[in-house]
Amino acid sequence: MLVTKHPTNEMLVDYASGALSPGLCVSVSAHLHFCEICRDRYSELTAIGGDFLDASEPAELSAGALDTVLSQLESTEPQPSVEVRTQDLPEDEAKLPKFITNLLPETGAKWKILSPALRVSRIPVGEERFELALHKIKAGGKVPAHGHKGMEVTVVLQGSFSDGDGVYREGDFLVREPGEQHRPTASQDDSCICLSVLEAPIQLTGAIHRLMNPLFSVSPQ
Amino acid sequence: MLAESRADEWSKLLVKVGVEKDRDAFTRLFEHFAPLLKGFLMKGSNIGHELAEELAQEAMIKVWRRAESFNSHKSSASTWIYTIARNCRIDWIRREVRRQKDIHADDLYEPGDENPSHLSLAQMRNQRTVRESLETLPQEQTEIISKIYFEGKTHSEVSEELGVPLGTVKSRIRLALKRLNVQLEFEAEDV
Repeated sequence: MLVTKHPTNEMLVDYASGALSPGLCVSVSAHLHFCEICRDRYSELTAIGGDFLDASEPAELSAGALDTVLSQLESTEPQPSVEVRTQDLPEDEAKLPKFITNLLPETGAKWKILSPALRVSRIPVGEERFELALHKIKAGGKVPAHGHKGMEVTVVLQGSFSDGDGVYREGDFLVREPGEQHRPTASQDDSCICLSVLEAPIQLTGAIHRLMNPLFSVSPQ
Repeated sequence: MLAESRADEWSKLLVKVGVEKDRDAFTRLFEHFAPLLKGFLMKGSNIGHELAEELAQEAMIKVWRRAESFNSHKSSASTWIYTIARNCRIDWIRREVRRQKDIHADDLYEPGDENPSHLSLAQMRNQRTVRESLETLPQEQTEIISKIYFEGKTHSEVSEELGVPLGTVKSRIRLALKRLNVQLEFEAEDV
């Protein structure tokens, strides 16, 4: 499937250089999982890092450095890069990218009901400025209209949703700037799971929803 | 040409470490890469001599532990080791500056091994080095792109630090990447 919405060059460069905050980092990773074009771009950007490393001025290490490291190898057997966790996940979550489910508790996401059609499960990554979460919209479900006080990044992980601007499918990477409003609706045939990164709490725009304020953190006006 | 065959040699050593847990191969990698890593890390503004050495050692231990997952078709040894050092630096910043230890950078990056791994054109092209082109960049572009890579700073942080508008930072990076032959897609969206 063709992914049509991608992170900007700026975001990808910051990702490759290690400057992106954890929440945004996960969102770009999620996009790369689905998008070959951006995996290629990323691979070129890390190759620049490799070249900078090659071209670095070597700095002499202290006399015992090699021995110190060699002695630590004894107790450090080679192992796979990511710890394999056994998780007992619900069917839909089991299909999510492995590095995403690795961030979830063993029995899967802890969903909180926000509205009849919408659930949220926060993913704690020690983030300060941004809040990382999974959102699940049930098939055909509509999310209450909401505006954004800060930037919001959404990556579709499963299924699809649409809003006034278009239809978004697996891997699509959407950035909403502060002030934009929208009302996402999941496609009729399947529920939709998205990863989202919110810069600041969002506010619902409908009067009733303001009372319920079911979405995310309360945002004092 | 020299750089290419050299990169090849390190990649072979790295594969050897992964497959045979060969300590001699690791020692050779250490002797080559540890000083480069230390030099690379010391270019970061707040990373001094001792810390750079500590991080270089930490990165080399990870190289030993992770060598099995190195795929010489996907990247060169230098690029792969760069990403390990980058993640060590991220974890250090989170540990020391932000006092967060629970999540590691390795958990936040796409491992790239869940997808069928056919070699894309770009990945093959990355076997070649862009080092020569790096040297031909105008100074103002080199300044910014090296700050980004050496210090792991965001575009906005670099803009603030150098007192250069964000738009200028972005456009210099874009020009630099163009010159380095990095694919720049979707520029229309990338204001």
